[in-house]
Amino acid sequence: MGYKTDWLRGIFPALVTPFDSEGVNEDAYRELIRFLLPNVDGMVPCGTTGEFSYMTLEERKETVEICLDEVDGRVPVLAGTGCTTTRRTVELTSWAKEVGADGALVVAPYFLKPSFNEIYDHFRAVDEVGLPVVMYNIPQCAGTHFKWWTAEGGLLDFENTIGIKDSSGDLPFMEAMFEKVKGKVSIFVGHDEVVQPALGAGADGAILASANLIPDIWQKVHRATLEGDFATAQAWQQKVQKLVRIVVRCGSTQACKEGLRMMGVDVGDSRHPIVPGGAFRREDREELRLQLEALGKIEKSPVTYHLGEKQVMTDLFATHQTPDTVSDWTMKVGEGFAGPPFQELAHVDLLIGLKDGPVGRAIKRSMAEWGEERGLHIIAERPRTLLVPTVTIRTQEQRRLFERAAAGVKLAIDLSIEDGFLPEPILDDVVLIVHAFVHPAASIARRVEGNNYKAARHAIRKAVEGRPTVEELIAEKAAARHPFRYAP
Amino acid sequence: MPIKVPWLKGVFPALVTPFDRESEAVDDEAYRRLIRHALPDVDGIVTSGTTGEFPYLTREEQRRLVEIGVEEAEGKPVVAGCGASSTQEALALAGDAREAGASAALIVTPYFLHPSDKGVYQHFYDIAVGVELPIILYNIPQVMDRYLPRTVVEDLADLPNIIGLKDSSGNLTYTMEILEYAGDRIDVFVGHDEVVLPALAGGVNGMILASAQVYPEVWQEVVRLVGAGKIPAARARQREVQKLSRIFCRHGGGVAVKAALRMMGLDMGPPRRPLESVGGALIHETRAEIRLELEKLGKVPIRGVSFEYPDGPLTGRFADLEITAEEIGEYDLRVGSAVAGEGVNKVQIDLIAGGKETPLGDAYALQMTYPLHRREALTTILEPALTVRPSTLLLPTLPQKNLRQANMIYGPAQSALGRAIVDAVEMDRIPQQVVDSDVMVALVTIHPRAMDRHTVARSVQAAAAEAIEQAFGLSPSPGDGRDERGR
Repeated sequence: MGYKTDWLRGIFPALVTPFDSEGVNEDAYRELIRFLLPNVDGMVPCGTTGEFSYMTLEERKETVEICLDEVDGRVPVLAGTGCTTTRRTVELTSWAKEVGADGALVVAPYFLKPSFNEIYDHFRAVDEVGLPVVMYNIPQCAGTHFKWWTAEGGLLDFENTIGIKDSSGDLPFMEAMFEKVKGKVSIFVGHDEVVQPALGAGADGAILASANLIPDIWQKVHRATLEGDFATAQAWQQKVQKLVRIVVRCGSTQACKEGLRMMGVDVGDSRHPIVPGGAFRREDREELRLQLEALGKIEKSPVTYHLGEKQVMTDLFATHQTPDTVSDWTMKVGEGFAGPPFQELAHVDLLIGLKDGPVGRAIKRSMAEWGEERGLHIIAERPRTLLVPTVTIRTQEQRRLFERAAAGVKLAIDLSIEDGFLPEPILDDVVLIVHAFVHPAASIARRVEGNNYKAARHAIRKAVEGRPTVEELIAEKAAARHPFRYAP
Repeated sequence: MPIKVPWLKGVFPALVTPFDRESEAVDDEAYRRLIRHALPDVDGIVTSGTTGEFPYLTREEQRRLVEIGVEEAEGKPVVAGCGASSTQEALALAGDAREAGASAALIVTPYFLHPSDKGVYQHFYDIAVGVELPIILYNIPQVMDRYLPRTVVEDLADLPNIIGLKDSSGNLTYTMEILEYAGDRIDVFVGHDEVVLPALAGGVNGMILASAQVYPEVWQEVVRLVGAGKIPAARARQREVQKLSRIFCRHGGGVAVKAALRMMGLDMGPPRRPLESVGGALIHETRAEIRLELEKLGKVPIRGVSFEYPDGPLTGRFADLEITAEEIGEYDLRVGSAVAGEGVNKVQIDLIAGGKETPLGDAYALQMTYPLHRREALTTILEPALTVRPSTLLLPTLPQKNLRQANMIYGPAQSALGRAIVDAVEMDRIPQQVVDSDVMVALVTIHPRAMDRHTVARSVQAAAAEAIEQAFGLSPSPGDGRDERGR
């Protein structure tokens, strides 16, 4: 006996759902689907990444209908129809069958925690609808982790249950699935950090949040695995590992949406209570951007810098937040933050300004009058950069770690020159004052250096681009939570 | 009243184990000092418990601690921590404890490898049968990664020399379940400092606590008050030590207890490595909080402070920025000043705003190079990576002499000032057109003895909002002859 279906294989994005103030933003959703279609083997509307749990039943139906219409049979559509109750799940799955979905992705009933017998009976009821069903294990959100016997029981005994999506990242569980049901139903991996190992071990495909951003790369991993070229598949997985770690662990819905916006596909923000700068932290946004740049997903475009009379054109990896022209270089303020770990976190404050302006004068005077006493150092000549330790350095160990922080800041400056944010023609015109913070109890030197690199690189970009914007500040001020604001 | 032995009630400190700063050897004399310090207010002592770093001690060392304890305890019971991963070692430790004169052995759930419930029962059974010494069971899932199963306790309680259970979980649902199923046969002790009062009210007979070597007299009073049915008074005492108890339980354990004892003049040395005196489980910021709490309890003397809030004409208060009253006029700089809060929570903000190309721009950049030692300026943020606009520096007017003072600036003052600024931008009190062209510096004066971060933050936000209104011309400045636009 072979597979129950032949279409459930390959790379399926768990589509984000674009919202506007009215509801689902149909135009943006269609644009997203068209953007992804060339590089996917199927589509999943209303999955976890699609924020199904924040949508009304009507919105879920609308979303599935738009997806079916836009896809128009070119790839299979697996509609997320899982609800907390069996009755509603059956109703929605029946509806999906009527409107022509190819299958339903049904999450374990969540919130209240039914026993495994109750979960099994839930899937049996959904199976009786007659639409192909994929069981969906996502303990991070649903609160229950399938037992292998629950999954095996449904997958082998139910007529229409054609596969399982496992988002747990629990490879021993997945191996148990291979042992019990391989070759009879499709086994999909849903955890972006272990796609290649899962495919290599025998998974038939992947349903992924990050397939909103890099479906082409996942197809390469899938193809290489099918061809037995594990080295290529591994190399790609490693190349996207940081990006997908951010997506999986740092607010996946908002991460995918902000990533898409940086790539030019505006799908808005997640619905509340997911907020910008929440689980997807600001430093994650900067890192995601850098990763998308490295993977060629964000293109360079020309930006003009006005330094008094002087005009400089530079090519930047521009996002929707990058202005076309950057003027008034008297004094720009930028700030960046990177962690964990707590003791090794970096908090960089910096000024970028004209050499003959306030920043230049401050560097000259401070170096002459108290530079040595306060531990100030010029760490670069082009652009001239003064490094200031935010915490007074007292011990040899602190000095050693501060040197690593300085190396991180220096790397950030070098890479900002390379990527065009600090273009060669302005390096003699502008100067920097950079504050680097090294916690007195820091010990992991590599993190001190790495975090200071990140924080400084983010700070430079934010200073140049004028971020955060006043709009962002106003929108986010109520929910802002300073980590040192509270007593232990 | 106690069920199997008459003495199993009241307040028992889980003593820290003092070590020599260089060799990490047990410091016998320091241990004696510690016991003498705690003894007047306790009903017994506990050697080599979790707070005493038992997993880092040798068998010989643990035996020695019991011997010293018996010598120093003036007849009060000495409970010997005899926890071990293997039954064989726990048996040996309990045998040693008996020989050394301990009144009971405190034996933790076997850890590291994960025996079944049957294995756990067998562990305690073997010790209870193998050693003629009363046994106290010990549940501490925070470090053992598992609970001592209630059903196992229910059966163990039948053994004649299982006399009690110490529950350090802090999970009162577990405590209540143990009382329900075994409370008729063994005494239950609370081992979690944060829930002493509720546990006593729920029916436990006493406590074994890390904090019982720091403030045993508070716990004695809580016991007395609960016994007398005076729950509101007991609640008030528990509340007084709540924060310190939380720090001991969750932010450093025995390391935090050693830090507290040291502040009180009892140097118990460092913990054994890999634990560190500060910077690991106990971070510097939290250590500063311990001193603050000990001051409140009267355990360490309060240091006197003398300082002044800035006064005199407002335009004359920016001398540290090298900005004179004349320049404020000449460059159209805006100033405002306001005070909020009372007593140690009084906060004053003197604010100056103006263009980047004025002397204020120079002052801003210069302050970023830290010319004023211990009064380092901070960029104003709502939270890390949310820098406010217009860019604003927070400059403390008083030197930050310790982390406790710094704790009021970093975070509370910084984010509250940020919020006041963004509020003002949102409400157009700070006009949109100056958001990029201008900078501001806020001179912030916070009482050096300020304690409450929440109150300080509220004061800063209120004072900053008012200072901004003055500077941007919406309310009059204090009588220094300036016009309504703060100029």
